[in-house]
Amino acid sequence: MATEHKPSITFHPEPRNLPGGEREYMMDVSTSDLEVNMGPQHPATHGVMKILIRTDGELVTAAQPHLGFLHRCAEKIGENVEWLQYLPYTDRYDYLASMNNNLGYSMAVEKLLDVEIPQRAVMLRMICVELNRIASALVAFGTYGLDLGAITPFLYAFREREWLLMIFEKICGARLTYSYLRIGGVFNDAPPGWLEEVSHFCDVFEEKWQEYYDLLMVNHIFVKRTADIGVITKEQALDFGLTGPMLRGSGVDFDLRRDVPYLRYKEAYDAGAWKVPVGSGEKGTVGDCWDRIFVRVQEMMESLSLVRWCLENIEEGPIIGDIAKTLKVPPGEAYVGIENPRGELGHYAVSDGGKVAVRCRVRGPSFCNLAILEDIMPGTLLGDAVAIIGSTDVVIGETDR
Amino acid sequence: MDFQGIHDHLRLINAPGLLRADEPRAANPEDKKDKGRGGDAYLVVEADALASFLETCRDDERLSFEILADLTAVDPGKDDEDFWMIVQLLSVTLRHRLAIKALVPKDPGQIPSSSAVYRAAQWHERECAEMFGIEFTGHPDPRNILLPDDWPGSPLRKDYEFPTEYRGISCE
Repeated sequence: MATEHKPSITFHPEPRNLPGGEREYMMDVSTSDLEVNMGPQHPATHGVMKILIRTDGELVTAAQPHLGFLHRCAEKIGENVEWLQYLPYTDRYDYLASMNNNLGYSMAVEKLLDVEIPQRAVMLRMICVELNRIASALVAFGTYGLDLGAITPFLYAFREREWLLMIFEKICGARLTYSYLRIGGVFNDAPPGWLEEVSHFCDVFEEKWQEYYDLLMVNHIFVKRTADIGVITKEQALDFGLTGPMLRGSGVDFDLRRDVPYLRYKEAYDAGAWKVPVGSGEKGTVGDCWDRIFVRVQEMMESLSLVRWCLENIEEGPIIGDIAKTLKVPPGEAYVGIENPRGELGHYAVSDGGKVAVRCRVRGPSFCNLAILEDIMPGTLLGDAVAIIGSTDVVIGETDR
Repeated sequence: MDFQGIHDHLRLINAPGLLRADEPRAANPEDKKDKGRGGDAYLVVEADALASFLETCRDDERLSFEILADLTAVDPGKDDEDFWMIVQLLSVTLRHRLAIKALVPKDPGQIPSSSAVYRAAQWHERECAEMFGIEFTGHPDPRNILLPDDWPGSPLRKDYEFPTEYRGISCE
């Protein structure tokens, strides 16, 4: 007499409908939960971060980021050094966009000082910040390809980034930690021929950008791995306080440079020099990984046209306002949020009138953007985990500060 | 909407816990000790009502603050009896900002958690809790976020003393 056969695999009764008319049958295989430490030494976490993932077979059931491996007490240091001395520390949060960090801190202190910035300094600031945004987006774009197994775009992206770093080196002497934007203006005027080289870079980069787009963004394998993966809805994005490309990737048309304007961004926008790219779900769903990386890639071109606008409008003149060597900041509290490549970088400075800050708070965009992983990772496949983590484009120097 | 408009509207709808507005002011020329105050204008809100105040700000159509941009605390001084809770709100549809301040007494240093209103507050509150020793009642995940779980003291308090030793590692 034959024994009754008991299947170890049961088919899910209802198939799931995929876009394009395909149907997916789910199988229930009895498996036990397994907790996997992804990191702290994992190439896809882009730094020293650990994500504790609970898996059921190939399915991620829970994810919990663990931070703090790179905590360097930036806020405590801010309460112990003088206002001007703190500037080099700002370079170290988001080390891929140091110019932007310098700008955020300088603007917060300038708000308390109520000092006027010379026009040439404003334009040099805008040029450097936008070039740095391109350099930062190149890393985001290159390493994201690398995460998904495409090595070539990474090498191309770093070729152009190298040129940008050389441009920065010529104006301030440093390749990564610039401290170029100072409280009151900038530290050094552009050396002879620098503006021409930036202009030349813009012309060359425009062609290269099209290459990148063709190479990665419309690549069939890349689209398959990113479209419809890690979808963040508009409501989720707002609830988690996402900003920057993460928010725009979810279809929210918001950019601090245009909507809470600073420097001369509003003027440039009104002159038609740049637009705000927003994710539209071109290859899948609005707010998927492809949309987020698409926004970053598009922003490179918008930054490029902003740089061109600045080159046209820059005038001769002084580069730094009247700032004392030992700076005493009048009492008050100021919060300044600026659009960093990764989102809103907020600096909240409190002064009691002394040489040292009472509180020097940094709101790092990566810190807030990372929290969304707890929400979007459960229910995805382990193979997509890297695609989702990479699409948040976090810099650990900033989450941990 | 500008700060004055937001303040007037919140008064009109009787927002819970709203105490007063604090705006930057020039120094009083007669009082030499008074240096005035620069920077941002903010609203002062009752600490216990902060969460419901934030809910009002989020749900009101004319304010619609969808994003909690930042939540942090300040220890203004050793002798001060209160911490300041600072919340920065941002509206992406109406493109305005609002700064909110709540005074939290250092003893007992408790405030209801706002993470049910804005999910973004959860990680910021974890950071505040470890850095200042503030307890957020009703917080769903009150673990340390940046510091090790057994780190002694609250580093951003003004009365914090640097440890000389941590797990056998000398910090001197």
